[in-house]
Amino acid sequence: MDFQGIYDRLKEQGAAGMQEANLPRLPDPADKKDKGRGGDPYVLVDPAQICAFMDLAKKDERLHFEILADLSASDPAVDAENFWVIYQLLSVKHRHRLMVKCSIPKSDPRIDTISGINRAAGWHERECSEMFGITFNGHPDPRNILLPDDWVGFPLRKDYEFPKEYQGISCI
Amino acid sequence: MSNSSTKSSTFFPEPRILPGGEKEFMMDVATSDLEISMGPQHPATHGVMKILIRADGEMVTAAQPHLGFLHRCAEKIGENVEWLQYLPYTDRYDYLASMNNNLGYSMAVEKLLGCEIPRRAQMLRTICVELNRIASALVAFGTYGLDLGAFTPFLYAFREREWLLQIFEKICGARLTYSYLRIGGVFNDAPPGWLTEVGHFCDVFEVKAQEYYDLLMVNKVFVMRTANVGVITPAQALDFGLTGPMLRGSGIDFDLRKDMPYMLYGEAWDAGAFEIPVGRGEMGTLGDCWDRIYVRVKEMTESLGIVRWCLANIEEGPVLADVGKTIKVPPGEAYVGIENPRGELGHYLVSDGGKGSSRCRVRGPSFCNLAILEDIMPGTLLADAVAIIGSTDVVIGETDR
Repeated sequence: MDFQGIYDRLKEQGAAGMQEANLPRLPDPADKKDKGRGGDPYVLVDPAQICAFMDLAKKDERLHFEILADLSASDPAVDAENFWVIYQLLSVKHRHRLMVKCSIPKSDPRIDTISGINRAAGWHERECSEMFGITFNGHPDPRNILLPDDWVGFPLRKDYEFPKEYQGISCI
Repeated sequence: MSNSSTKSSTFFPEPRILPGGEKEFMMDVATSDLEISMGPQHPATHGVMKILIRADGEMVTAAQPHLGFLHRCAEKIGENVEWLQYLPYTDRYDYLASMNNNLGYSMAVEKLLGCEIPRRAQMLRTICVELNRIASALVAFGTYGLDLGAFTPFLYAFREREWLLQIFEKICGARLTYSYLRIGGVFNDAPPGWLTEVGHFCDVFEVKAQEYYDLLMVNKVFVMRTANVGVITPAQALDFGLTGPMLRGSGIDFDLRKDMPYMLYGEAWDAGAFEIPVGRGEMGTLGDCWDRIYVRVKEMTESLGIVRWCLANIEEGPVLADVGKTIKVPPGEAYVGIENPRGELGHYLVSDGGKGSSRCRVRGPSFCNLAILEDIMPGTLLADAVAIIGSTDVVIGETDR
């Protein structure tokens, strides 16, 4: 299915927390500053209901997103108040993809873990949590994965400051 | 000492009488699980990775990979450099398949740009990517034999890989980190005689690939070490998001080149240039170590088919689309997943219209494939640990990025 088909099916099934679809568009010829939006379409989902959404996406017969290809976050320049958590779903059976996005506030970045639905999420969420400081509620193993346990700060945030030293070793 | 035979000591408790009437003697020694730290410099971990194994005698009861020894902040660097400047960093995730990494990144940027790639460039890209896939599979196959004590296949594999590296050196000047596939096409056209040499390589290698199969894959000792070991069920494979040979080894026929074709793979598939080998549990159980390495060895021959198809259909023409000296990428976000030798390499790029990406996420297939170790290692023998770790074929540059 193409994106529109997937979106309609999700709507038809009453997917929990689905807010809107964001599609790429061409630049508006009337507005000279408008550059349009390239790339892939995605659906925006309410972070409080992400588990129910993922469960439906995995189990629905015509969607059948059995693989969670990727889970990451972003500290977007266009949205200074929020972090984005981005899920890339892949269906082996129907050979289609879907990008799902959740927007969570920077002041209290937390979202439910989906590692109970897709165990692939386990390591991705650990990486995401150490890099952005996002808490995944109910994660079974919330340790750091790439960074040392005593690392200070969240490196992929835009306001991250590089440390001057780490355990007495100069970083400059 | 007359009563010593009736009193039991701490070390020798009262013997149990076995059904046959014999006495069974046991030492009353407290046992505890042994924690073994395998790595970070263990040769079988193929790089700098530590696996903490808890063993009860010969049995593994828990295994936990510890990553991050090779973390080089690739994603953070991606946010601080320009679009084209990031290309050499992509070489360094999966350093055995740099052409594939270049392709994944270039395709993600091209998706944001929405530009057309000249046909000759696509042909050259496909040839390079598939040759690199063979070179990568040769290392996987050779070092896996080495892990299990078979030294000869490794030397044979590196002989052919050396030729491939020379072929790459002729087209782009580098042997390992190529940066040859650029945003918009490839860096330069193939030098005179290069395509002929690639054709010659295909003819020679086809025979060699069969030799390798006979040398290692059906070797009795090798089969005994790998069949029925480290079984990954299809359901497990999907749950952990495995891709590439790990997924196909578990019997799931899914390859992005066939099922979600990009570049010219759709055409090549329609022309019958390649097939997708899938594990069938030929020597043991479906999804065991033997099936995974079988898929990798068979894929080498299929890649040859794609290269031959390209050589037969390549035409003259430009090799680089006009993307400008400083690439201006419109705002947007894109995810592109391509079939790397180890699985799906995904790039999620966000552009806000600036000089570089605002977010440059890399989904390394080795990272996802490694996660399954925690699940399949418990309950196996310690002697099989190396066979299972080797069969995941991880490249640490990619797990840590």
